[in-house]
Amino acid sequence: MGSGQISGQYVGKRGPLFGLAFTTALLTALTVGIYRFWGKTRIRRYIWSSVSGDGDAFEYTGTGVEKFLGFLVAMVVLAIYLGIIQTILFFFGLTLFTEAETMAQQAAQVLALNITFLAVVPLIFFAQYRARRYKLARTRWRGVRFGAEKAAWGYSWRAMLHGLVTLMSLGFLLPRQTFCLAKYKADRTWFGDAKFEQRGKWTGLYPAMKQLFFAGIILVLGAIVLAISGQGAVGQLVAGFFLLIIGFIWFMIGLVSYRVRSLDYLANHLVLEGQHGQVRFAASPMTGTVITTMIAGGLAASVLSGIALSLVALVTGAIWAVTGAIIGESAFQPGVTELVGLTAFAGLYIGALALSGGLILVLVTQPIIAHIVKTITVRNTGALAAIRQRASDRGADAEGFADALDVGGAF
Amino acid sequence: MSWVSGFFYDGETAGRHSVTVEMEEGAGALLLTGPTLDDVQRWPLHRLRALSDHARETSLTLTLHARTKDESLRVAARLIITDKDLIARLKKLCPDLSRQDMQVGSWQKIVKCSALAAGALALMVLVILPRMANTLAELIPVDREIAFGKSVTAQMETALGASKLGDLHCSNAEGNAALERLVARLTKGQALQYRPEVQVLNHKMVNAFAAPGGQIVMMRGLIDNATGPEAVAAVLAHEIGHVERRDATRHALRAAGSAGLLSMAMGDFTGGAIAVFLGERLLQASYTREAETEADAFALEMLNASGVDSTGMADFFNQMQKLEGQGPEVLNYFSTHPASASRAAQARGNAATQVETTPALNKKDWAALKAICG
Repeated sequence: MGSGQISGQYVGKRGPLFGLAFTTALLTALTVGIYRFWGKTRIRRYIWSSVSGDGDAFEYTGTGVEKFLGFLVAMVVLAIYLGIIQTILFFFGLTLFTEAETMAQQAAQVLALNITFLAVVPLIFFAQYRARRYKLARTRWRGVRFGAEKAAWGYSWRAMLHGLVTLMSLGFLLPRQTFCLAKYKADRTWFGDAKFEQRGKWTGLYPAMKQLFFAGIILVLGAIVLAISGQGAVGQLVAGFFLLIIGFIWFMIGLVSYRVRSLDYLANHLVLEGQHGQVRFAASPMTGTVITTMIAGGLAASVLSGIALSLVALVTGAIWAVTGAIIGESAFQPGVTELVGLTAFAGLYIGALALSGGLILVLVTQPIIAHIVKTITVRNTGALAAIRQRASDRGADAEGFADALDVGGAF
Repeated sequence: MSWVSGFFYDGETAGRHSVTVEMEEGAGALLLTGPTLDDVQRWPLHRLRALSDHARETSLTLTLHARTKDESLRVAARLIITDKDLIARLKKLCPDLSRQDMQVGSWQKIVKCSALAAGALALMVLVILPRMANTLAELIPVDREIAFGKSVTAQMETALGASKLGDLHCSNAEGNAALERLVARLTKGQALQYRPEVQVLNHKMVNAFAAPGGQIVMMRGLIDNATGPEAVAAVLAHEIGHVERRDATRHALRAAGSAGLLSMAMGDFTGGAIAVFLGERLLQASYTREAETEADAFALEMLNASGVDSTGMADFFNQMQKLEGQGPEVLNYFSTHPASASRAAQARGNAATQVETTPALNKKDWAALKAICG
């Protein structure tokens, strides 16, 4: 084994990122959504440049122009495909229609009419893979590009099958889904001319599911207590509902715990195969830290948004009143005050969304990214220096499909 | 001229080179030298670019502008400097330091692709999907359409607050007989594809609907507010017009096809929901206004054929106009029905040409129909 170890660092601050998120959100609203491609790009540049290893920051090289163009092309394809497929699927839903006699049949028919969502499912996974490939193709460290192979359709049908299997196994095969899809993606990921490889076994993810199993047991117990409690047994009824509530909260925590701990397992079994040796990884994020950040940050963001909103509402109310006073009762034209009020309301609404979006990014998302990055270590970094540059990837649709189908996330 | 130290990445390998950076102001270039570099690197100041939106405030990452096929028109090499004085001098000396270079022809591409996307969307929503819906609506077997219509009216009842199906149905022997006589009079001698099944619901709303497959729903409020049996006859004839044209089925198909296309175009940006809502309203209105106009024409012909005075229809629209209030003109584009005033005028014009008319229902039947929910 070679030598050298790098720990992840994160230097991003709240102030500059909030300013960036707030201004780009306002510009997006002013341009009826068009600026969002540039906005996302700028936020990514900031966050990427905040992450560093051994003092060398990551770099995001994507551009707003290519994202916008990719989106327009995706629009053409999706408008034609979705329009036609949705109409035909709905038509087949209709031709299968028979008279409903029970409420259950009625519900089944409503479901049959919503069959059109099937048209989007394969595209969503396709778009997710493509978005990942684009982001990797636009990420550099020490001047060398990351990259992913073209395999979006292969990912799409695998993701659908795994999802179906997990559903049919009542969630017991979730680790298999998580691991196989992570391996499919990791094994097609490159840094320069070095390929990543996901090692380990899917059964290795079962310990990560521990909290989910506990939650499941509590939920089942609650259901049993409710089922055996007679009509009059108030105590049992209360106990049953109490167990269900506890089980639900535990389940939510369990989901976060599963994501955090599976990240840990996957990172510890990830290898980068360089010409001069293997680079290995480790990550040890804490579930407690992530959950505390989500709750405390989310609360702080809501409180701050609330305070700011009340202030702005006061000012808007004052503007409205002043407008009314200036126009006066006699010269009052129906519609003018309404127009001022409506404009003020729209401005307030957009400002509020921009504000809370920025606060969530700064108080929840960024701290979680920072926490995860700081727990990452890279070993045998001596092998990194020999890794050579890879050819530039045009990035296909520059995640236009993900933007159109809205599977991209905040940035 | 003094020198400062920096880090250099050659864009070829992931190795880090420690370099000394010298400013040659006379030659207008930065000189990079280092023990691990094969050659001296000479970076012209006018081609220098710095990375923007960067989180690190104390350092500057530099690169060179170049006509590459790359996304960002920059060479792959990077130079990182932390010397405050040099950073300040570069910011002063290089006017293009923070320029975002774009590939030649980017703007033409943007214009072309925007036009293409807008065109494709408009073509789908305004031409292809309506035509597909029209064709497919004709292909659905009538019994399936009737089943679909029944499920639509069942859902409508639930939405109006019926705790179980049939709760809101208005039905008594005399009322049903009167309603049947009215429908029979209107449809007599007409070659209809569907047998209209009319249901009165106990609700104060002044409205009537035509669901797919001949399922017509009339609200109690409409009968209560009608000026006479001719008004109810006109509304029924109008709804039968929708039924015969399979409007409800076609609209359902069209809505299913265009679902989400607009929100896809607008995206989930801040405030986008408002724009999508207005756009969808506008689109739906343009579909239905045309259908309403044709159903009106159908209704007038039906009234003429059965000898029912269309003054009742005119009165009904005048009354609707009063109920709607006086909205600004622009709202017409968002409204799903044509302006009531012009519809009333059309019905009145038709009434002037009608030669021989008799009351739609006799006094006793009209009283029975009014009492159907009683």
